[in-house]
Amino acid sequence: MRQIRVPFVLWLFIVAILVNLFLQPNFLLPVTINNNLRVLLPLILVAAGQAVVILAGGIDISAGAIVSIVNAFLATRIGLNGDPGTAALMMALALLAGMAFGAINGFFVAILRLQPIITTYATSFLFAGLALLILPNPGGGMPSSFTKFYHDTMPLGLPLAFYVIALVMLAWYGLRQARYGRYLFAVGGKADAAFQTGVPVSTIQFSTYVISGLMSAFGGIAMTLLTGSGNAQIGDPLTLSAITAVVIGGTALRGGTGGIGGAIIGAIVLGLFRNIVSFANIATWWQTFVNAAIIVLALAMPGLIRLLRRGST
Amino acid sequence: MSVSLSARNIAKRYGATVALADASLDVHAGEVLALIGANGSGKSTLSKIINGVVVLDGGQLRLDDQVVEFASPYAAKRMGIATVFQELSLVPQLTVAENIWLTHEPLKRGGLINKQTLRHKTEELLDLFAGTVSSKLEPDTPVGPLPPDEKQIIEILKAISVEPRVLILDEATASLDNRQVQRLFELVTQWKLQGKAIVFVSHRMEEIFQIGDRYSVLRNGTSVGEGVLSGTTRNELVALMVQGATAGNVVARTRPTAEELAARNVQLAVTDLQAAGVHGVTFQLHAGELLGLGGLRGQGQHQLLLAMFGALPSTGELTIDGAPGHFTHPRQAMQRGLALVPGERGSEGLLLRRSILENFLIPSWRDFGFPLRMRKAREVAANMARSLSLKMGGLDDPVSSLSGGNAQKVVIGKWLLRDPHVLMLDDPTKGIDVGAKAEFYKLLARLCDEGKSVLLYSSDDEELIGLCDRVLVMHDGNIRVELAGAALTKSHLVAASLGATQEELV
Repeated sequence: MRQIRVPFVLWLFIVAILVNLFLQPNFLLPVTINNNLRVLLPLILVAAGQAVVILAGGIDISAGAIVSIVNAFLATRIGLNGDPGTAALMMALALLAGMAFGAINGFFVAILRLQPIITTYATSFLFAGLALLILPNPGGGMPSSFTKFYHDTMPLGLPLAFYVIALVMLAWYGLRQARYGRYLFAVGGKADAAFQTGVPVSTIQFSTYVISGLMSAFGGIAMTLLTGSGNAQIGDPLTLSAITAVVIGGTALRGGTGGIGGAIIGAIVLGLFRNIVSFANIATWWQTFVNAAIIVLALAMPGLIRLLRRGST
Repeated sequence: MSVSLSARNIAKRYGATVALADASLDVHAGEVLALIGANGSGKSTLSKIINGVVVLDGGQLRLDDQVVEFASPYAAKRMGIATVFQELSLVPQLTVAENIWLTHEPLKRGGLINKQTLRHKTEELLDLFAGTVSSKLEPDTPVGPLPPDEKQIIEILKAISVEPRVLILDEATASLDNRQVQRLFELVTQWKLQGKAIVFVSHRMEEIFQIGDRYSVLRNGTSVGEGVLSGTTRNELVALMVQGATAGNVVARTRPTAEELAARNVQLAVTDLQAAGVHGVTFQLHAGELLGLGGLRGQGQHQLLLAMFGALPSTGELTIDGAPGHFTHPRQAMQRGLALVPGERGSEGLLLRRSILENFLIPSWRDFGFPLRMRKAREVAANMARSLSLKMGGLDDPVSSLSGGNAQKVVIGKWLLRDPHVLMLDDPTKGIDVGAKAEFYKLLARLCDEGKSVLLYSSDDEELIGLCDRVLVMHDGNIRVELAGAALTKSHLVAASLGATQEELV
């Protein structure tokens, strides 16, 4: 008899939706969903990339800084009066740059075999410093027509972010069905065993950082489209939020189990928690505390449940 | 398709340690070469060089008379060399099918994995061992929680799934029970006929003689002899392995008779112990007794030991020295003088990267006050190392620098430092060479003479027969048969393991 277990993050998701519905009756209107998702999209994209790294047993602390760099770069290169042609070119360049930054991380971690957490923490300052060089003071931006497109486009009545998420999931599904996906889980599960089996362990680890860099660059583009302006520190808080989303989503920090789907739902859950806090009329200076408390509780819940089960037998 | 693999004058150093000095072997299509040698003699290193996990420092590898160099396991695999690794190369989070076919998954057009074929081919492979493994073992079962014997079988299937020309079995039988070993040997015979060349690394003499065609002996990283197995005696091989000295693997020890034992104090009594995998076990252990626990693997022996030690929830009665004790945590068992030496040295018994000193003292640091009296601690650890005749560089060397037999001594030593009354051992000699085993038996005999009680679970029948006062044979979570005195024979033990009852035997 196989026991079907509903992933913990889905319970959180349902609870978060119910509470939101209670506080915000128009919560399920397409427009409201669009409002929520477009704000969350940068985090979702970064979390998806982070999930790939963590699955393979690494971690990428520099993801948020890459978002900042891309934001600073786009805000200065496109500008408030940029034309669509330049914008498309710059975005393509930003994606390439994101992959290059990821490759730097990958080189240190996979080739030089340095500790991922320290290495990417160090490179995050490198990237953050570069972002500040590009854009010392908040400013620059994008034409409002671009942000309007990002804010209001709802093909077939569904939010634009919805399609982006669907594409990410589709790409992930493809990876999982291919050898690459197996390698990812094998490297994260037990790298020695994978190596002895003939899995190209270093190449896989390297590639995860490139993927994370690429997803962070996508996150940076989404962030710029969302805010319409540049700020060299805008991505910083995303790193820890993304890692939290990955963990809430059921991916073990030691690697080998989990997936991108959980990370995406985890990111949405985090956003919904933030909604709850802001709609529940909690005093401003309590909001950070309450939000953090909910996250800590959510992270601890699986452990608490296990503890109670152990106690009862 | 005939194949031949030849390793010539292989050398490998790790820093200052010479793992292999001058090792050679030849193996040809359709034969089984038994690679034998004491632990630390370089068998594992040699097999890892042949399969590309370790890069050689000197010497030559020739495959079909062509010089080959393997930069990675992948290169060796492509040339048709597959290995069943002693430490297993399975990823616990992946399923049986995913593990077996990792790196050579059957693909559909477009590079996606063909799940039907994958499942189908995995089932075919599992059928090779049908009847000797649990029927719940399916392609989609995650590997992590499987018992060691099934993991070992998955590892074997994984190696054979690449349809290798050369197959290296490194201690592949260490975790298997009799039936599984026999099935493996039937398969090896088939593989021989198919023209595969097989290198069989094992400590079990019986198996070497049963399946091997030729042998090659390593001692201290050097090949010291090779030849045809038929016509060679056990003692000749052991003599080659253990320089000069002839090591008998049965220790000289006067075993107490049943009457003598009955007259002694009952150190530990277990009544109707129930736990997961243990269905009502009752027995007594006397002071100074060496009690064996035998039977096929996975018949509840491991769980019985864990349950007695408080590491597995259980019901039933346990009395120590006449006073009741029921433990819900190992700490309580330790306080009452019980010690459990785990079977998986690497994962359960030792912190491999930490020093020998630390490993010895982990359970007893509290005896050394605050701040820790290091001088005293070193003295105690050094004495223990001496009394175990531990071969080591120094107390500060990491445990990972020790050979298997010596590492196992550290596991036992750390518990002996707490001076337990009852020592429970969970298959302690698995993967240990003959010489180290003999020393280990002497140690157990000495402990019993000092009045300690030993409960030894072993998957090695010879060991149980040659060492123990009594042997309890477990079958399906129960003690089916008790063998002692004249009844303690190999044939009885094997029959009982396979499910014969006390009445049928006597």
